[in-house]
Amino acid sequence: MNDLSEIENELRKLRPARPSPILFERIEEAMMDRRAGASHARQPARLPYNRLSLGFGLAAAAVLVLFAAVNMERRQERGEKIAQNSPAPETRPVLPAPRGESEITRSTFSNEFVPAGATRLVYNTRDEGLQFARGSGQPLRRLRYQTHETWQWRNPTTGASLRVSYPSEEVVLIPVSGQ
Amino acid sequence: MKKKNFGGLDKIIPWRRLEYKDREKVMQNLASHEDWKSCFSEVAPGLLLFARQWVQSAADAEDIVQEAFIKFWRRNHKIQNRALLYAAVRSIALDFIRRDSRRARREATAVGETNEFIEPQFEFEDDTQRALAEAIDVLPCEQREVLVMKIWNELTFAEIAGALGISQNTAASRYRYALAALRNMLQPQ
Repeated sequence: MNDLSEIENELRKLRPARPSPILFERIEEAMMDRRAGASHARQPARLPYNRLSLGFGLAAAAVLVLFAAVNMERRQERGEKIAQNSPAPETRPVLPAPRGESEITRSTFSNEFVPAGATRLVYNTRDEGLQFARGSGQPLRRLRYQTHETWQWRNPTTGASLRVSYPSEEVVLIPVSGQ
Repeated sequence: MKKKNFGGLDKIIPWRRLEYKDREKVMQNLASHEDWKSCFSEVAPGLLLFARQWVQSAADAEDIVQEAFIKFWRRNHKIQNRALLYAAVRSIALDFIRRDSRRARREATAVGETNEFIEPQFEFEDDTQRALAEAIDVLPCEQREVLVMKIWNELTFAEIAGALGISQNTAASRYRYALAALRNMLQPQ
């Protein structure tokens, strides 16, 4: 044990290497940065407010997604009904139907949708310049139209209407004449 | 013994052994955001030595100590939690090794080829001290870290146990094994 305390004393005489002065400067800089960061963090309850608005934003987005999903389902159901009902006019007999069939035919007529209108809104046109079509020496001007198309159907019997809108893109090539 | 010239180091308080009360005062200052430079200059040599148990380069050890010290300072830890500072150094050093294992391997290979690139961990005064330092390097890692914490950082066995996540008895026995191993290595044949 005595030997161990001797070696312990020898060890205590050893001095660890000292840190470089740069380390102090680096720590000082880091401390300053931290303080600056801390003072930013102490600014009036900005973080909770951001979290709150983020929460509201997410909730609103979720509601919109749900609403869109429900709408899509309804549209799909309607689409199926239309698909089921649309062949009806084609199969409609030209001759007057027998008594038993007339009721069924009438009810089919009451569910019939007729086209009520179509709109095409061009919201962007881009001129993509002149091009030469393959095998043709005549230049073509390429125009790209971005549109929003809407189709509408209406059931004259019930007054119900169905509207389908979708974005579309159209590329038009116009021959350019040199004359 | 060749003395090294450390430019500008005269500003730093020279390393000296502190009495327990001094250490307590230093560490309380450390925790109360007052004059971190004097606090750090007291603990830095021991902390650097501790960090160098895992990394060869003194620069890497300084990076580790810097990160640990800033974390400790920012969290306003007190003297009772001093072991946390060493635990932080250890944890950051281990992360560093994992992160930088490829570089460490390369360095280890290079170091194996040329020993002169390793910065010494101690300031030697004579050949006996150099031999002692070399003997410390040969110790198993778990004994060496306890020895470094006990001798040059003056932690109690309870604090060492807290920092390393071991029992006080284990810490004490590792310390004794380390001393015994050093004595055997330095005994004249």
